[in-house]
Formats: sequence, structure tokens, C-alpha cells
Amino acid sequence: MLRLVATRAALGVLTLLAVSVLIFICTQILPGDVAAAVLGQQATPDALKVFRAELGLDKPAYIRYFTWLFGVLHGDFGRALTNQRDIIEELLPRFMNTLFLAGYAAAISVPIAVGLGIMSAIREGRISDRVANVLTLIAISVPEFFVGYILIFIFTSQLDWFPSLATVSSDMSVGDRFYVATLPALTLTLVVLAHMLRMTRNAVLSIMSTAYIEMAFLKGLSRTRVVSRHALPNAAGPIVSVVALDLAYLVVGVVVVENVFVYPGVGQYMVDAVAKRDVPVIQACGLVFAAVFVVLNTLADILAIVFNPRLRHRRVASHGHLRA
Amino acid sequence: MSMTDTLEKPHSASGLIVDRRQLMAGAAALGLGFGLPAASAAAAAAAETPKKGGTLRLGMEGGSASDSLDPRTYADSIPISYGWQICNGLVEVDEKGDAAGELAESFEPKPGATGWVFNLRKGITFHSGKTLDADDVIYSLNLHRGETKSGAKDLLSGISEIKKLTPNQIEISLKNPDASLPYVFADYHILIVPNGFSNFSTLDGTGAFALETFEPGVRVITKNHGNYWKPGRGNFDSVELRYIPDAAARTQALISGQIDAANRLDPKTVAFVMKAPTVNVVRTKGTGNRFAFVALCDTNPYTSNDVRLALKYGIDRQKIVDTVYKGFATIGNDTTVPPSMKYFAKDIPQRPYDPDKAAFHFKKAGIGAAKLELQVSEGAFSGATDSAVLYQEAMKKAGIDLEVKRVSGDGYWDNVWLKQPFCAVYWGGRPTIDNQLSQTFLSTANWNDTHWRRPDFDKIIIAARGELDEKKRAEMYAEAQKMIVDDGGMVCFAVGDYLDGYGKKVKGTAPHPHYDMCDQRVAEKGWFA
Repeated sequence: MLRLVATRAALGVLTLLAVSVLIFICTQILPGDVAAAVLGQQATPDALKVFRAELGLDKPAYIRYFTWLFGVLHGDFGRALTNQRDIIEELLPRFMNTLFLAGYAAAISVPIAVGLGIMSAIREGRISDRVANVLTLIAISVPEFFVGYILIFIFTSQLDWFPSLATVSSDMSVGDRFYVATLPALTLTLVVLAHMLRMTRNAVLSIMSTAYIEMAFLKGLSRTRVVSRHALPNAAGPIVSVVALDLAYLVVGVVVVENVFVYPGVGQYMVDAVAKRDVPVIQACGLVFAAVFVVLNTLADILAIVFNPRLRHRRVASHGHLRA
Repeated sequence: MSMTDTLEKPHSASGLIVDRRQLMAGAAALGLGFGLPAASAAAAAAAETPKKGGTLRLGMEGGSASDSLDPRTYADSIPISYGWQICNGLVEVDEKGDAAGELAESFEPKPGATGWVFNLRKGITFHSGKTLDADDVIYSLNLHRGETKSGAKDLLSGISEIKKLTPNQIEISLKNPDASLPYVFADYHILIVPNGFSNFSTLDGTGAFALETFEPGVRVITKNHGNYWKPGRGNFDSVELRYIPDAAARTQALISGQIDAANRLDPKTVAFVMKAPTVNVVRTKGTGNRFAFVALCDTNPYTSNDVRLALKYGIDRQKIVDTVYKGFATIGNDTTVPPSMKYFAKDIPQRPYDPDKAAFHFKKAGIGAAKLELQVSEGAFSGATDSAVLYQEAMKKAGIDLEVKRVSGDGYWDNVWLKQPFCAVYWGGRPTIDNQLSQTFLSTANWNDTHWRRPDFDKIIIAARGELDEKKRAEMYAEAQKMIVDDGGMVCFAVGDYLDGYGKKVKGTAPHPHYDMCDQRVAEKGWFA
């Protein structure tokens, strides 16, 4: 187990390094640079030259990359090129906001999705299974921003229960935070529900077709008992993987929802940085997002081992076997 | 009521908007001519007396997480707004569109307008406690001169020297005479900061509000510093400016009372917003962005003025205004000077949509059935693509094949504008006709996006700057506009309206001839009823 974590951590660091190189190359391929993007229509050749020299953009790209990398290895993510603000100070509160929203959405969506998924598996083919499937599929088929607008229409315009502006700030109480972030959390819930529900249902059902489940039925056990006691523990691994992927999505893929609800998360910060070619900020956001994926995937693997006695009692458990 | 209802009848709704300038002018005329009943006059006066207190919650588009407090980098509405909350300029543009002293108490030209003397207000202090003097002003102006990244560099390039005469007086010498120099100092970049102020992680100014919290991309909070030196202004206790880039979110927040004011309402839905009982829509007609397609006059086939005239006759301006802007725009006449601007040439006829003339000129150019390509992007301005498609249809009637190529908005100003032979552009309003024309049409202008270079035109513009005779000046500017209309490469088809939304209790929100949101100074000018 420890070895797994150590291997995954080492691989994770390599992944992050690769990601940083990739992002840096991509930002260099993008046309224009930060000086041109900031000055926009009012850029003059003189002003651009001064701006570029001020930011050190006249140095070759690889030197800028290694300067940046050296800083990061010393825990210094640097300052934004556009407004000279400390990137960590800007990023950290936004990342906390993003985690808060993701956590809130997960707290609502995971129990519902897994619960409904198991219910659907138990009642496979019956009306409640179909209704749950159709409804969640509709929710996932509608674009996120539109789901957001519909919720705003119902809960802000018509019922006036929740605010449409979800701007959380450091001076807010926890209760207020939950209150204002309700609509974006519900929107995200609707977006990820279908995926998790269907994967849970399929994971349980695929276990249901194995021989030992048939044996359990032959013993005369009820369907509910077979699913909950025999099928579910073995289906837990795949379910956890799906949940982890969706959680990662809740962290990194929510820029549209942030925009609709004016939620101060990392997504909008990164989009603004890309628009302005603010490479150190893009790098920092990219690393944070990549790290979220690495951590959640590792957690999913560890949890799968915990749930699975066969893997738990083996000395070496490698990643590849779990998914087989 | 359904949304489609309002969208089908934009004009019936637009009639509901009260242009306050007209309304107030009307009331004043009434008052003079017939005498208002005493009671209602008193009531009106009471309603116009600013009250102190409250937090103004602004929800705005026009900024990003990359915004800085450094005035040299300001380029959009949100930085302009917080800049004028915290700082003052030397000059501001008043309700009539004239240059009025702000930190300059008065200013007068030297003979022939070859230089200007500015007298500074005494006893003004910065938030840090320092008293304003000539050194602060000179330092602040010099931030935008010489080796600088400032967007205002070109505006000040005509200045040869800035000299301190006394602690409260400066003299500005010019390379060429300029009778409208004071307007330049109303530019939003040119804010007055203390001498030597260089750490723009914060901002020190003489404005009504001192910076409290700066979270670019999220919110900017300022607090009333107390005892503001302008009478009747700086009434709110504090101002909370939130970044709300999504127009639907901004509108919704305004209607439901989560914010008190919103900029850039969407023309497509503003008729719906006006029906909300909680909201006041203030429309500033024909001073907004100038929407245009620009052709490079030194690139084939646009070297031929016949092709350029075909481009100008072949666009159905009214249809674009009605369809794309739902009537919330004024048709343009191929210059960046709208009718609301001083020295607008009224005698130049509005160019109509005339497919026959377009076809005639296109044929006369003798380039056969050449295909023209227009590059557009929503990154140029919102509505560019729809306008271009309508343009394409209109050109078809003249038998001209105009291909519309939609390109990415990302990097548009860097890769397409000024480089592609025919593309979309918008131009913001400038305080004077000289600024407006110089930045776009002078041969030497960095942003001459039509590559239209006419020494005769340059001569007129330079000469008009030094001309102190109003009548002669007007004639010169009329001549300059005519040259652009008849010969230039710009197809300016519309000038947008500014559409601001305010909660009903926000007062002091009269439209301003310069920018939207009361010249972006609503925080300083407004108050709660």
C-alpha cells in the first residue's frame, strides 16, 4: 500500500512536470503575448517594446521556462505578468472556493447518484429505473449554462428562494456561503448525476451476471439482499473510480457555471489568464488542476484496494490489475 | 409576458425610454416659459438634492482577473470606473461635453494655443494625507510620456515640455498649436497620483473613495474618504464593484435587486428589462461604440475608390441597426464622428443603401467578378458576425460576392485588425473630434486601420488644432469629415447606444455625452433616494 502511494506520488510529480512543459509550449504557440493582449487595441509598437522589456519577454522562451521552474521548485509561483500580483495569494482563495463548490455539489450528487444507481440496478427495467435514467439523461443533455439559467428562473425569478449571484467572499459566514452557492451546486449536481448514476447501475449489473451472484440467488436470497451484501462490495471499486473522475470534473470543468453564477473560482481566473497570455498564471492553474486529477485518481485506487479483499490481502497491488 | 413578445416589438418598447437629458431640458424650458407651480418646483428641487449614505453595488462587464491598479494599463470599463472612484484627473468632461476643470481650477491657452497654463486647486489632499501640488501633476503626466507602456502615450505625444511655474501652476508647451488640449487630460489613463508613486499594488488618489479591497476579476471595494472636495458629489458611504461578465447574470441580478446598477445591458433583451418595475434604463443615444468594417486602402482591390464606394453603398445600415441592435443604435455615415459630437458635419448627406450605385461603382472599378473577403469575429465587437451576414445579403442584391470569414476572437487585435485587408473593428468615443479623427485617420497614426493616408487631410487636422476661430474650425472639420466619407476605407455603419440599468432608488444618473454610467463616474455622482 505504501509502495503504491509512493509510486503514484512519484508518477504524479512526473505528470505535473510534463503538464507544465506542455502548457508552456501551448502558450508559446498561441498567437500574441501578454503585452499585446493587455494593451489590446491601444497597443503601439513603442509601448509594446517597453512592456515586453519590463516583463523580460525579450528573453528566449526556454530561459523563461527554466526561470519559472526554478522558482516553482523553491515554492515560488511568481507574480502575474499582467498586474504583478502574487499568484499564490490570488490562486489560493479561489482554489478554496472551487473546492468548496465541488464539495458542496459532491455532497448532494454522490449520495443521490449512487443511491439511485443501486436502486436502478435492483429494480432493473422497472418504471422507477427508467424514470431515473431518462430524467438524468435529459439533465446531462442540456448545456450547463442553460441548466443554470433554468434554475435561476425558477429559484430566483419566480420563487425568490436563492440569489443568482453566488459571489462568496472571505468575510462571509459558513451558512451564507452554503446559501449563496446553492444554485451553482444544484446545477453541477444535475450535470454530473447521469454519469455517476449510470456507471453505478452498470457496475452493479455487471457483477450481477457473475456466477457467485447466481449462487446467491439459488440460495434463495432476496434481490435486495443479493445486491447490497454480495454485489455492491465488489462493484465499489469501479463506482469509486467514476465518482473520483466526476469529482475532478467538478473541480476543473466548471468555468461555465462559474460565469453564469459569478462564482469566484479558479476556472474564470485561468480563462482570463489565457485571454491575456499570462503564462505564469496559466501554469499555476494548470498545475493545480493536474494535481487534482492525480490526487483523486490515487485516492480512487487506494479506496478500491480497501474495498476489495483480494487486492487488500495481496502484497503488491498494481494499478493495472484493478481496472482489468 | 413572454420574451418573444418583447423581441418582436422592439420599437414600441424603445419608445418607453426617457432620455433624461431631453426630459430635463424640456422641464427647464417649461419652467422658463410658463413658470412651474411653486410646490412642484420645490419638490423637484428636493428630489435633486443629493443625500448621503448607503453602499452602491455596481455589477459590471469590462474587466478581468488580470486588471491592475496601474492607470497606464487601463483599457476597459471596470478599471476606468475604479480609477475615477479613487483618483481625479486634471480635467473632466461636463454634462454638455465641454472640458471643465477637475484638479485644475482653471486653464488658459498661451497666444496661438502653442502652450497652456493650468492652475491647480489648492488644499486638495491625497488619501495618504499628502497635499496636491504641481510636482504630483507633472509626475503623473510624465507616467504617460517617453519610454512608457501607457495607452495614453499617443495622446500626450504633442507635448514638448511640462514646467512648474509655482507650486500650484504648471505650463505645458506644445510642438504644434492645440486649442483643445485640456480635453486630453480628461482621458481615463491620466489620473493624478502623488509624486514618485510607483507601487501600483495599491492606488493613492484625491477621489471621493479610498481603495479598500482589490480582488481583480471578483470585486473592488472602496470606502468614502470623507469631506470630498466637490460639492454634492461622493455621496455613497462605500462602493462595491462586482465583475459580472455574463450579460444575462448581470441583468438578472439587477432586476432582482442584488445589485444597484449594471452597465452594457444587452439590446436584445433590454425591452424586457425596461418592463421590470424595479429598474430604470438610461439610454445614451449615439455616443457608444462606432461599429465599422475597414478596408486597407493600399491593398488590392481596395486601392480603387470605386470599390470602396461600392462597399459603402452596398450595406443596408438601417436593417443592421434594426435587426442586430434592435433599434438601440444610430446609423453611421462612414466616419467615427457621430451626430452628437461637436463639429459633426451636418451638411454631409447620410449615405443610403443603394445596390444600383454599389453595382455601378463596382463595375467601374473594372475588377470583374472578384470575390471580396470580410473577416469578422465576436471578439471585435458583439454583433459583428450578424452584421456581416446581413452585409453579405445586401451586397448580393448589388451582384457583389462578399465572403464572410469568421475568425477567432482570441488575439483578434493582434492578428487580424490592421493586418487583414477587410475586417471588423469598433472605435470608442473620444472627448474631442480632434482625438477621434487623429487616432484613426492621420497618416502617422499608429492605428490608421484603413491605411488611408492623405497629406491634405493631415494638414487640415493639424491646422484646425491651432485655429481659435470657431467658425473656421467648424469648416475645417467639415472638410476633413467629407474627405473621409467620400474617399476613406471605413464603412462605419452604426454607432451604438449606451444602455445602463439602475435600481429605482439610484438617483443622479443622467446620461453623459462621453461614456456610459455617467461617464463612468456614477459612484461619485449618484446617490440613493
